[in-house]
Amino acid sequence: MDIRKIKKLIEMISESDVAEIEIHEGDDSLRISRYSSVAPAAVQVVQAPVSQPMAVSQAASEPGVESTGDKLTGHIVRSPMVGTFYRSSTPGARPFVELGQRVGEGDTLCIIEAMKILNQIEADKAGVITKVLVENAQPVEYNQPLFVIE
Amino acid sequence: MPLDDASAIRARQQVLGFLSDNAVHSGHELAATLGLSHSAVQATLQTLEKLGLDVHAVPGQGYHLPHPVEMLDADTLQRHLHPLSRTHIGRLDLHPHLDSTNTRLMQQARAGTACSGQVCLADSQGAGRGRMGRDWISPPGANVYLSLLWQFENPASLTGLSLALGVAVARALQAEHLTGVNLKWPNDILWQDKKLGGILIEATGTVGGGCQVVIGLGLNRYIPPRLSGAIDQAFTDLYRIQGQAMPSRNRLIAQILNEMIPLLVSYPRQGLAAWLDEWKTLHHWTGREVTLIQGERHVQGVLENISGQGLLILRTPEGTLHEFGSGDVRLKRSASAPF
Repeated sequence: MDIRKIKKLIEMISESDVAEIEIHEGDDSLRISRYSSVAPAAVQVVQAPVSQPMAVSQAASEPGVESTGDKLTGHIVRSPMVGTFYRSSTPGARPFVELGQRVGEGDTLCIIEAMKILNQIEADKAGVITKVLVENAQPVEYNQPLFVIE
Repeated sequence: MPLDDASAIRARQQVLGFLSDNAVHSGHELAATLGLSHSAVQATLQTLEKLGLDVHAVPGQGYHLPHPVEMLDADTLQRHLHPLSRTHIGRLDLHPHLDSTNTRLMQQARAGTACSGQVCLADSQGAGRGRMGRDWISPPGANVYLSLLWQFENPASLTGLSLALGVAVARALQAEHLTGVNLKWPNDILWQDKKLGGILIEATGTVGGGCQVVIGLGLNRYIPPRLSGAIDQAFTDLYRIQGQAMPSRNRLIAQILNEMIPLLVSYPRQGLAAWLDEWKTLHHWTGREVTLIQGERHVQGVLENISGQGLLILRTPEGTLHEFGSGDVRLKRSASAPF
C-alpha cells in the first residue's frame, strides 16, 4: 500500500473522532488505532501472506515493480520504455557498469530490449553508480527506476 | 596463421575469389596466379576449412570448392540497386572479415563517423551476433551479413520496425522466386517453420532526441554441412531450398536494400500500419499454442494476434488476453502427438 496514502489516512483520522479504522485493499490490510494516550496513532500494516500461486496473468501484467522510487535519493535513471532489461551486451559478457563504478555522461548503462530492438540506455549524468535496481533479464515498465547515480 | 590477420584475410579473399567458379585449380596455379607462396596457399586452404568450408582435394589435379561461394562485389551490388536506394545509401562498405557488421556500424555511429544510409557488409564474420549474443554461423562468401544505419528523428516512430523489416526481407526473397517464406514474431524469417534468417536492431540515442538505428540482417544462403551440427535450432538455407537456382549473393543483397530503404524513408510517416496486414499473412502461428520465454519466465497461451503496435497478444489458460513486447516464442508440442 502506498505510504503516502497511509499518511493521508492517519492525518484524516487524527482530525476526526474515529478511534480505529481497518481497511482491506487487495492482499493488503491496514488498521489504524487512535488512543487518547501519548502516542498519537499506532499504525499496523498487515501484509497478507501470498498463499495462492501467482497467476500467470498477474505475473504478465505486473512484473513485480517495487515502489522504491519514494526512498531513492540521487539521480535516478529510469526506463524510457517497456521491455526487458539487460546489463551486458551478450549473456556472460561483463556488465556495462558495476555498482560503485564511475560513469561519464553518454556511457552505456544497459540495454532495454523491446520487440528485438536493443535500445542502449546512456547515462544522462556523470557520477558513481550507487544502486542497480533491476536484475538482469527482467522485464521493466515505463519510467521504472533502473540505476541511481550520485 | 591467425584468422583475422590482414595478409591472411587478403590471401583468403584471393583464393576464394579464384575457387568460387567451382572448377578444379592446382596448388601451383593458385600460387602462381595469386603471387602467393605454396605454403601460404596451403595455410589459406586450411584456414578455409577451419572457417567451415569444405575444400576438396582432387588427387593429381588440385583443389575445388563445391560450395556456392560468391564474394562481395561493389560493381554487381551497385548495378542491382534501384536509383532510390543509391540516393539514400550514403556509403557502402564491403569488408572481407569483421567481428560483426552491426558492432562496426554501432561503433562508427557512436564515434560520429557514420552517416544515415551507411551500409556495412562482410564476406565473413568472426563474432556474428544474433539477439543477445547467440552466435551466428558465418563462413566466408556464403551468407548475407548486412547492416544498415538509419537516423530517426523521433525514437517513438521505431515502434514495430523489426516486424516491418521482416516483410521487406520476405518481399526481396519472393522477388527471387522463393515461395513459402514466413515470419515469426518479432524478428525471424522462416521457411516452412525453419529459421532462414533474423533481424537484429540496435538503437542508440538520447531520450527525447533523435536516434541512430543499426539494422542487422543475417540470412542463411549456404550453411556448409560441417557447421550444421553447431546450430541448436531447426534451420534451413537458400541452397537447400532452391539449389543452383538460388539467387546471386550480391543481387540478393541489393534486392533487400531496395526493399528496406523505401520502407525506412516512409516509416516515420506510415509506421507499422502500412506493413501489418502483410506481416499477418506471412505469420503462420496465429491460433497455435505457444510458450513465450522471457528470461526465466515462461508464459503459455494461444497466440491470438499481433497488436497495432506490433505487440504479441496471448490468450492465457485463464482465458484473458495479454500483450507482450519482448520474449522468444516457441511452438508448444502438440498434445495429440503420438509420443
